[in-house]
Amino acid sequence: MRPLGALLVLVGVALLLRSTALSALAARGVVVDVLAFATAMWALRYGESWGATFGFVLGLAADLDAAHWMGRHALLLALMGYAVGRLSRTLVRDSARTQLVLLAIATLTHQVWSAAFELDRLESWPYLLQRVLVAALLTAPLGTLLLSLLRRASGQPLFGHAVLESGPSS
Amino acid sequence: MGGFLPPAERRSSALLGLYTALSLLLLILGDRLPQASLRGVGAWIFAPIDRIVLTADRMAAAWHENQRLHQAVAELMIENQHLRAAGIENQRLREELGLPAYHGFTLRPVEVLALSGEAVPAAATLSAGTHQGVHEGDPVMTREGLLGRIGESYPTLSRVVLLTDLNSAVAAEVESTGVLGVLRFTTAPRPRLVLTSVPLADTVRIGQQVLTSGLSRRYPRQLPIGRVSRLGRDASGLMQDVEVEPFARLSRIRHAFVLVRPAAPGDHP
Repeated sequence: MRPLGALLVLVGVALLLRSTALSALAARGVVVDVLAFATAMWALRYGESWGATFGFVLGLAADLDAAHWMGRHALLLALMGYAVGRLSRTLVRDSARTQLVLLAIATLTHQVWSAAFELDRLESWPYLLQRVLVAALLTAPLGTLLLSLLRRASGQPLFGHAVLESGPSS
Repeated sequence: MGGFLPPAERRSSALLGLYTALSLLLLILGDRLPQASLRGVGAWIFAPIDRIVLTADRMAAAWHENQRLHQAVAELMIENQHLRAAGIENQRLREELGLPAYHGFTLRPVEVLALSGEAVPAAATLSAGTHQGVHEGDPVMTREGLLGRIGESYPTLSRVVLLTDLNSAVAAEVESTGVLGVLRFTTAPRPRLVLTSVPLADTVRIGQQVLTSGLSRRYPRQLPIGRVSRLGRDASGLMQDVEVEPFARLSRIRHAFVLVRPAAPGDHP
């Protein structure tokens, strides 16, 4: 039950951040993709089952909160959670370099997917491309920095324990 | 596929399949789903979060406003002390010069219920009338400046003729120089307030304040109206065309003050 409670709390926090501080930043062109970050980190810690579940729940909640058809975020974040969870078995999860690359790929994928739905006119692609790149360039280092700070604060590796590797579903 | 995979992987694959199918279903059937109801559910779920954000936002705004108001109160208290001393001095000087005594006004706060008029509002309905001591002819202003005067007064409501009424005319003067004129509203070539009947020889500068002169007896003296925003010549070329930008935001008023005259001997409403 513990991961379920943590999942709901993290979903709430991610959505709260997205609709407040991050949305104010996004209006100024500073896009930080908290959905991709939260999904990737959760999947990295708890594996593919919980990663997919977290991605689906977070995506569905984000879809409900937005004015577009549902399923858009849910589909990609569920796939992303699953993929990152599968990759986490073979990666050095506490390496900052791994986290940086994973976050950059996750953000790029999520942003490109979201931008694909907004590409109604050919003239809008430079703006969307800029948004995708800015999001990836900001989210990856900021996320890595945040994880490094959390690791320092907790005094132990965030993802390294073998007990947590398989997650509650396995 | 399930047979080749260990149980944990089978479960995660099944979960992924379920989530993918659900998401695709939502995407494909998007227009057939009751989106409004679903968003209603979403709004209900997110309402506590929105409330937290709103409360935090309001508290932050209130904190900033409180700081600003504290500063304003301190400044106004100092200014009030100066004005009180100046008022006493003025009263004494008027007595020595034999000028009639100045009667102050009582500010009665009222709510603006409605604005009427095409494009630029020309009249407003107030939430107070004769029962509240509001009578025809009483000047109406906001914290920023003059709005107009009461044109009609009913038992519990009244109607203000705003400065932007085409029939409104206010005897006004330019602060410090004392240049006199009549403030009118005109729509040609665009809607604006103009201080008319100002001779070319009189010196008026952009940025100077325009106040009521008290010469028409409809408005008391020294009520702020606006600021000179543009200078030119009128159509005849014989007078100045002094454009005035009003202090009061005439299209965005929610509250106002009626200057209720005190009952003074020989004073007619």
